[in-house]
Amino acid sequence: MGHQMAQQISAALRQSIHRIVLVLASFLPGILAFLLAVIVFALIGWGLSALVRRLLIAVRFDERLAAREAPGSTGIITEWSPSNSPTVLAQRTTFWLLLLAGIAVGISAFDASYAEDSRYSIFLLPYVAHIAGAILILLVGTLVARFLARSVLIGAVNAQLQYARFLSLGIKWLVLVLSAAMALDHLQIGGTVVALAFGILFGGIVLTLSLAIGLGSRDLVSRSIEKTMDKTPTPRPTEVPLRTDTETPPRLRHF
Amino acid sequence: MSSTPLTADAAQPSPLPESGSTLASARKSTAEVLICLPALTPDALPYALQSIAAAFPNESVLVASSHALENPSEFPTLDLIPYTSARSDVGWILAAGDYSAAAQLALEHNARAIILLGGDTAALSHPNALDPNLLRSLIDCLRTKNVDLVLPRFSIGPNDALVNSALLYPLSRALFGADIRFPLPIDAAISARLARRLVSTTQRLMALNQGSSLLWPVAESAAAGFSVRDVTCQAAPPTPPPPATQADFNALFTSIAGSLFNDIETKSSFWQRARGMYAPSIQPSSPPPIAELAASPEIHSMIETFRIAQDNLQEIWSLVLPPQSRLALKKLSVLSPDAFTMEPDLWARIVYDFALAYHLRTLNRSHLLGAMTPLYFAWVASYLRFVADDPARATHAIELTAAAFENEKSYIVSRWRWPDRFNP
Repeated sequence: MGHQMAQQISAALRQSIHRIVLVLASFLPGILAFLLAVIVFALIGWGLSALVRRLLIAVRFDERLAAREAPGSTGIITEWSPSNSPTVLAQRTTFWLLLLAGIAVGISAFDASYAEDSRYSIFLLPYVAHIAGAILILLVGTLVARFLARSVLIGAVNAQLQYARFLSLGIKWLVLVLSAAMALDHLQIGGTVVALAFGILFGGIVLTLSLAIGLGSRDLVSRSIEKTMDKTPTPRPTEVPLRTDTETPPRLRHF
Repeated sequence: MSSTPLTADAAQPSPLPESGSTLASARKSTAEVLICLPALTPDALPYALQSIAAAFPNESVLVASSHALENPSEFPTLDLIPYTSARSDVGWILAAGDYSAAAQLALEHNARAIILLGGDTAALSHPNALDPNLLRSLIDCLRTKNVDLVLPRFSIGPNDALVNSALLYPLSRALFGADIRFPLPIDAAISARLARRLVSTTQRLMALNQGSSLLWPVAESAAAGFSVRDVTCQAAPPTPPPPATQADFNALFTSIAGSLFNDIETKSSFWQRARGMYAPSIQPSSPPPIAELAASPEIHSMIETFRIAQDNLQEIWSLVLPPQSRLALKKLSVLSPDAFTMEPDLWARIVYDFALAYHLRTLNRSHLLGAMTPLYFAWVASYLRFVADDPARATHAIELTAAAFENEKSYIVSRWRWPDRFNP
């Protein structure tokens, strides 16, 4: 009785191991094909990017591009280039494009070699594209958030707003949350929950502010408005009369 | 007195340009002086011509204008030729397109001395707006002293042209060795030699349709080894009304400071090499004794802007300024308005650091210049307190600032060559 049970367990284990080995055996070629494609394309990318770099240095691409930019202009390509060198930008773009192509080819190879059960690859291939899209959305969102936050911060400081940093942080997080929600939506994670949460969050913020101003800070707001109405306008540090005690007050002129 | 357009305009055909050109061509061998007028209104043109005729009573002068007179015989010594003034990004300042067009005309008509007139067209629209003495002195200096570039030194009040006093003049003097009070000129007189050089300098800009860009003729002349002078002018500069809003001010400040930093970047190989062209200045003597101005509302306002920036812009300033400067700014921010004084050497180092950050593109250039504005206001607040509306003290303060820029030149040279040394 005991012996039979042991045999049955042993057979079941053997079958399980056999199945695992079979799955691994059918999976490994796909993985190897994927890795091989990525490595080969990475090597090609490395070689091609080095070639592009040499070529652009030889034709003095950076100097030519700088010469075409008008003096005083921000030079958008140079501005966004790593180390301020469009040559480096072209080099890295070449490399990463080829690496991405290698990943795409690798996934196709994986798909072909693992054709026995294509459920994974069929599921995986479009999802990788979605992941790439989501990463791109997050990346762009982060860049835009940083740019807008700095723009708002500097503008608010120059406009003498005491809450400049708060405003800047608000803008930054608004864009970050928006881009995160977009990325999640792109990945189809959360479904309508994300949209709902986003709507509730923003609606809540607006409602909170409305209530805060309408109820809690009613007196404060009315006092502030009265103060603004009564107060002589504060001179801005741009072009203002310097003295008011003479008939023709000397003016402050910056230009 | 009225006039008609001299420029080729399909909508407004004018027979006068041809006659004007013919007259000019006929006399081009005799007229040595070419004067290029800004885009004046037709009504303002006769006033300008009267001033020119008064300045050169016995001399034939070529006048380049966008309009022609209906009755040219009214000014027998003046020959009008067609010319389109380029409106610069800053409006009343001469643009690269102005220099290019004037230089081309000068070469075409064999003119040996060229005067370019800029300025706000509204300010030049009344009689006697153009000073004949200024025109005469510009040409006299150009001819008698064998100079290539002559600029007017306008008479201004102690609280005028503050950007010029804070940035343009000190930088131009320290880096290019040119003691020219207004290096970004409204008017300028140039020799034929400099005109030829400007044709090649502006060629690239004109090809890129960037004729409205600012050009820095003082730096250009210094880099080419040409001589530069300025002549005193009793008249006030024909500048437009001050910018109405903070946004207008920011746009102008960004445009001018950005253009200057760009020019410094372009000519970095010149000013780094230029040894012996300047000697670190000896500190000017003590200012005339006068009580410093108690902080007025506008000084308070500027200091407030600086303090808000000190609280909020640390993240950006830390990318640009070394720790020593940030510490000095922190100390400055806690001073009371009645004791608010920014040392000239601190200001000089700050400007040099921002010029370097502009070159290195440490951050977006419009952000960089926007982050510099509160520091400029701090300098202005300190300057206004020191000057106290006294012209002698203003001269002294400007001299102190310029001397500080000269003395700190080694700082910018070091930082330009080894930018990371000061930021571990």
